[in-house]
Parts: sequence; C-alpha cells; structure tokens
Amino acid sequence: MIHPKLDDKNVTAFIPGTIIDVKVKKGQEVKQGDVLVILDAMKMHNRLIAPSAGKVKEVKVKPGDKVRKGALLVSIE
Amino acid sequence: MPLKNKIEELKKRKEEVLQGGGEQAVAKQVAMGKLTARERIIALLDEDSFNEYDMFVEHDARDFGMDGKVLHGDGVIIGTGTIFGAPVAVYAQDFTVAGGSLGSMHARKITKIMDYALRMRIPLIGINDSGGARIQEGVNSLAGYGEIFWRNTLSSGIIPQISVILGPCAGGAVYSPALTDFVFVVDKISKMFITGPEVIKSVLGEEISQEDLGGAKVHAQITGNAHFYAESEYECFEQIKKLITYIPWNNTRKARRFEPKEPKVNFNIEDIVPGDPKEPYDVRDVIRAIADDSDFFEIQEKWAANIVIGFGRLNGETVGFVANQPLVMAGVLDVDSSDKAARFVRYCDAFNIPLVTLVDLPGYLPGIDQEHAGVIRHGAKLLYAYSEATVPKMTVILRKAYGGGYIAMSSRHLRADFVFAWPSAEIAVMGPEGAANIIFRKEISEAPDPEAMRRQKVEEYKEKFANPYVAAAKGYIDTVIEPAETRKLLLHALEVSSTKVADRPYKKHGIPPF
Repeated sequence: MIHPKLDDKNVTAFIPGTIIDVKVKKGQEVKQGDVLVILDAMKMHNRLIAPSAGKVKEVKVKPGDKVRKGALLVSIE
Repeated sequence: MPLKNKIEELKKRKEEVLQGGGEQAVAKQVAMGKLTARERIIALLDEDSFNEYDMFVEHDARDFGMDGKVLHGDGVIIGTGTIFGAPVAVYAQDFTVAGGSLGSMHARKITKIMDYALRMRIPLIGINDSGGARIQEGVNSLAGYGEIFWRNTLSSGIIPQISVILGPCAGGAVYSPALTDFVFVVDKISKMFITGPEVIKSVLGEEISQEDLGGAKVHAQITGNAHFYAESEYECFEQIKKLITYIPWNNTRKARRFEPKEPKVNFNIEDIVPGDPKEPYDVRDVIRAIADDSDFFEIQEKWAANIVIGFGRLNGETVGFVANQPLVMAGVLDVDSSDKAARFVRYCDAFNIPLVTLVDLPGYLPGIDQEHAGVIRHGAKLLYAYSEATVPKMTVILRKAYGGGYIAMSSRHLRADFVFAWPSAEIAVMGPEGAANIIFRKEISEAPDPEAMRRQKVEEYKEKFANPYVAAAKGYIDTVIEPAETRKLLLHALEVSSTKVADRPYKKHGIPPF
C-alpha cells in the first residue's frame, strides 16, 4: 500500500482543469523534474513534473482535455 | 584507600557504563545502520564540550526478574554541551541498553535534564531511539511519559525544543516529539507511529510495513510530523547545528546576529517572477534574492510544498520567511499549508523572530475533500497566528492576492507593520474571471454574443481592479515598490521596527482553532 503522495510513477491532476500542453510522448525517457503536462487551473499554468526518472509508459491526455480531480495524466515505468 | 585508588575505581566504573549494552548489543545497533547514543552526542556537539550527568543511575525495578539486572545508565544518556558555542541540554536514548526502553529512572533522567534546560533557559535536544515503555515497570513507565509531556508543554515557547528520531519511537513516546518545536528524521532509521503494524494487523486486518506506516519519508511528505528529513545521521546533525544558528537560546533573547552579507548576484529578482500571472516560478528564488548571502534554510520542504517556510537573515538578523509557492498547486492555501504556516508564524512570534511574508496566491483550494477536512478551521489557524503575532511583520505582495487568501497572508488588517506591493500585484476580492461572471451575469447572458461580452467584461475588470492601486488608494498597502527595491525596504522596515511596542489586553491564553 503506497500513499498517493509517495507514488513516484503516476502523475494525477491535483484539481480539475484544462490540459493546455503535453510535453512528452509514450516511450520517451524523462528525468526527475522534467515537465510532463501543463494544467490550467487555479489561475495558473501548473507544471506537472516527473516524480522520478524513467520511460513514459502512458500519456492519458491531450491539449484541450478537461480533466477531473485525481485523473491519471501520465504514468512512468 | 589512597585517593589515587579511588580515582582508579571511578575510572573503572565510568569505563563500565561507557560499554552501554555491551559488545553484542552495540554490534546489533551498528548492523541496523545506526550510530550509538554516545557517537550521536559526539557528532552533534562541539568537540569535547559534552558533560554527562547521572551516569551511575540504576533502575529500581524488582518484578519479573529485573532485580539485580544491570542496565547501564538505565538506557539513556543526559548532559549539557555546546553547538557552535551555544549551550544546549541533551538526552539520548541508548537502544543497546534494554532496547532504550523507558522505565521510571530512565524517565527521571530525562525530566532532570528537561528541568535543567528550562531553568537555565537553554535549548533542549532529545534523541529518541527506544522500543517504548519498559513493560516490567508497568504504570511507572506511563507516569514517566506523562512527566515528560508535561515538561514539554511547560517549556513550549520558552526554550527551543528539538526532537531527533533515530530509531523506533512508538506508542505514547511519539507525543513528546509532537509537543516539541522541530522533529528531525533520517531515512530508513526513523519510525514513528502510535500503533504499529502488528496491532493494525490484529485489529483491522490491514498489512503494512513499519517503513510505509511511519518511516521518515511518510512523516516528511505525508503527515507533516517531521520538519527536517536527512539521508544519514551525520546529515541530520548538520541540519540541527544549522538550525541552532538561526534561533535564540530562549524567548527573552534574540537569535545570534551574523555579519550581514549581500545576496548572490545570480539571483536577480526581476528575472525570477514572470510578468504573466499565470506562469509559475519558484518563490524560493525570490527569497534567495532578498536574504543575506542568498541563504534560505527551509523547513518541511516536502510537506504542503504549496507554502514555503524557513529561516534566512536580513542584515545579519534571523527572519522567518513565509511564502506562497506558485510552483506547487498554484500556491493555494489548503488544510495542510495553513496548518504548516500557522505553526511557523507562532514559532517565530514566540522566539522574537521577525516575519517576512511573500504573497502570490489564487486563494483557498476549492473542493469537497477540503471542506469536509475542515479547511475553515485549519485556514483560520493562519489568520489567528498572524493576528496574534506581535513580532515585526513585513509583507510583500508579488502578484496575486485574492479573496480570503489576501487577508490571511499577513495583510494590513491582521496588523502587518509594513505592506509593500510590486506593480505586478493584483489585490482584489476575487479573480477577474470569477468577478466578471458574477457582476455582469445579466449583461453577459443577454448579449448577442455572450462569450465576447464575457471576455470584454473580464478585461474591463482586470484593467480596473487587477492591480495594487485600488488597495494603495485606501492605504491598505503602504507603498508600491519596484522589485529591485525589496531588500532595501525590508532592511529599513526591520531597522525601524526593532523597538516595536504591541501591547495586547491581558488574557490567560487565546483559543486558537486547533
């Protein structure tokens, strides 16, 4: 059982919003801290970053998508 | 017997106690990747500065075969020493002696050094590494914990109290650290929980490891129970030593003054904050652009990272920085970030540390979970803490200051002494989008092209209210400043507020919403 805050593989939306940019593709190698997705919410273009280094396993969103709170956006293997 | 022989005997007795729990137990401690209690004290304090007391204390348990059993120092080492020349009182539980378990004499040694620290008005550092209550001593162990908690509370706000978790700290024992000011944890070594995995399994049927339940990362990132996280014990001791340089010995003193240093040139304040209020940045770089030597000592870095707290210096004097972090969750206030900042504000107020608040937040985080988690009560903690604080309070509004968030973040109305705003500041009751939608609802819905009308009204609102001048016209902010002037003005504000008087009506104590 891992607490979501210690999950370093799955990046989720902390609040509902609109995806305005997706910076990575499936299969791409990312470093910890790389920007994966930009989420427009709370008057901010929030940069959602890679919690750990690895290969992008899945990209669940595209620009323009409206996402719910907690929605999985990108997963890293 | 000649004195020489008596001295020899003393040396022999000391030598025996220094063995702790004996070779085997020490080897076990080392195998767990831990230093011994004595090694820890030596690593933490100035060289040769430690003086130990109660070395020859023996336990007084008689039941369950305890009679005649030798437990050196009864499993805890107490004494005084210095850190960078500043006096501190220390206790360190010795896990090699009966698992560092707490019996009545063990507790009495701890309370003795706690009393000493309070009487001498010097900081107390407690190193916890204990299996918990000594079962053989029964209710006497519980009495011991209670005496410790009572003293933690009595000393709170008078002397700094620091807890270092270097091993298990479970059951009732966890409440002492929780009552102290700062809790330090080390990866893979610290374990803190009220009920451990075994109890959780037998009562609830849930399985979890000690590490996942109450390891260092859990307390540094999820619970907020820890203030400082380190990868190794040595790193942890360096953090403690650094902390000691920022805080005073007690609540009647100021922190030690250091030689003033200008910030480093690579932190150019105007290059850090984007003009577009929707673009995030790391507010810690703004702190570094303001603070002496660009030095910022962050507290609770990984927990509720949407607000940043920590110590720095201005003109050599310690100040507490509180800043919204646009880089994390847009810098919103929520349950955890309010709690985190409120406690820090109260700490600074108790120990005469002026507060510098940097504001850039969209407001409180909306959501069912936040409301149901009691964000009203937790958010109110921050208002309470700022309102109550009488240390010099300086506020700089960098960009967004909307709604309740504007009031909460050390506003004039909560008695900030100085409120500066950058020309990029937007101080209003709510964001332009939301405000325009409400005020011009009718015009928008009745327009031939509602979306175009909506955009026009948002622009109008932005033009008129998303700036610092409406607030400046009312005197809610003292002056609109250029970002580059921030440090200069804060230094000046600190200087003129050094003789601040803020009398409050007498009360026994307030009732903060905790």
